[in-house]
Amino acid sequence: MTADNSETELQHSIDATVSKPTSARTSDGLRALEQYKVKDSTKVVVRFKAVGNAPIMKQNFYKITSSNRFQAVIQFLRKELVWAANEPLHTYINLAFSPAPDDTVANLYKSFATDGHLIVNYRYSHMSLWPFRYCMLKHFVQSTTQAWG
Amino acid sequence: MSTYGTTRHNPIPKDRVTDYHTTLFRRLTWEGSVPIEIRVDPKELPANSDRGLECYYLQAPRVSYLPLLMPEIRKYLMDVVFDEAATKVLKEEDWWFETEEGTTLKWHWPIGLIYDNHIISSSLRGRSASSVNPLRLILHLASPPTDKLLLNPSAEACKQAFMGQLKEADFIRWGNTKRMTGLRKVDQDGMWEGIKDDNFEEYWRVASKVTPTTSLARSQSPPPTSMHSRPPSADQAGASDRDGAYSVRSVPVRLYLPDGPVIQDLAPPLLEDGNPLTLHGYLSSHVPLLFSPSIPPSQHASLSDPVYALVQGIIVPLEAEMAWLGACMAGADGWVNVCVGVNGA
Repeated sequence: MTADNSETELQHSIDATVSKPTSARTSDGLRALEQYKVKDSTKVVVRFKAVGNAPIMKQNFYKITSSNRFQAVIQFLRKELVWAANEPLHTYINLAFSPAPDDTVANLYKSFATDGHLIVNYRYSHMSLWPFRYCMLKHFVQSTTQAWG
Repeated sequence: MSTYGTTRHNPIPKDRVTDYHTTLFRRLTWEGSVPIEIRVDPKELPANSDRGLECYYLQAPRVSYLPLLMPEIRKYLMDVVFDEAATKVLKEEDWWFETEEGTTLKWHWPIGLIYDNHIISSSLRGRSASSVNPLRLILHLASPPTDKLLLNPSAEACKQAFMGQLKEADFIRWGNTKRMTGLRKVDQDGMWEGIKDDNFEEYWRVASKVTPTTSLARSQSPPPTSMHSRPPSADQAGASDRDGAYSVRSVPVRLYLPDGPVIQDLAPPLLEDGNPLTLHGYLSSHVPLLFSPSIPPSQHASLSDPVYALVQGIIVPLEAEMAWLGACMAGADGWVNVCVGVNGA
């Protein structure tokens, strides 16, 4: 689809119909909406960074289609980390905030990209199993050390 | 009017003043409410329910959220419609709302946004705004479409989403979230409590620490630098323009088109020539097919225009400055939601 050309054409036709009756302009408005509904198929680079005790991913750069919602990014991340759906996984942009899951990658990229990457941080909840296991291990080591001491 | 804007005649020190007009518009925005009709899906009513009472009407604050209405709905609708046994087995976590047209309503959208978004999608189908009044919702009691709702309907999940939006707005404005994260937990919670209690003072007592003001002289500094750089260290700047609406890196704004998409991009308050960015300027650069850059905005915009822009349910003059909208007409989550209507048929 040659979106660029048709957009220019539409632009001209809107400019030309300023003084025409409402109906003509209405159909232009509806055509314009169709244009804006066309999904952005370009891809952007998303870079995943682990926080705290979350494991580092072997590959942390991914190209993701911009029209995807952030929810899709979260689901992708869960799959890569083999993280169960009911276990909390916190995601942040630029280590600063959690975006709404229905915001698109395109919107987040436009507003928050750093050096051409959208940085997505991920962290397991403190309530999740892993820190618990880690504590148990530490506790075990400590108590064993004490026993030996 | 005397209840609006309490600082007009008081010579309060400059650093914490919110001027009369800013307070006035913030209060008007806060006090905006929308009429809602809630009807339980007749197919889901148990056999013993009272079918004559299946509708409930309420006036809900624009800044509130659907999960916060649940206790009221349960109290005044469900307990009346259902008999005691049926009420007991009702699980609120299975409830979800949909419009008459079949749009699933998201838990984390402010109610005002849900309403405005419904108005623009009705305009597109040739229905006038008055026919949308009240907003008719269908309450379902089972099988929530979790892929569309994205969150569970708890007030806690909604609060987390709300805090996320506040921080995102903070980041958009200043390039960091220091203002939000610098708040004490009790103050952060206070903003949410303010919404829950519909308490303007409680909310703005904290929100005024993170929201820019329009009361101070417009910044004379050059327009913001490129979109990816951090703003010049805010802490070194004088207190006078540090919190000004025209000093932000960008205004948190989202454009909603009927039936989608939602467009979010940076909106620096000042153009490169130093003039303020207007709503028309922003719209014509992001949806030029609807708001042509070459056609000056009409002075008398109305809902029956071929194309119109709604902010907080109001047709805002297109020459309104984005920085002002960000300081005075943003929602409680810090975002200016502009719903673009196109009249079809």
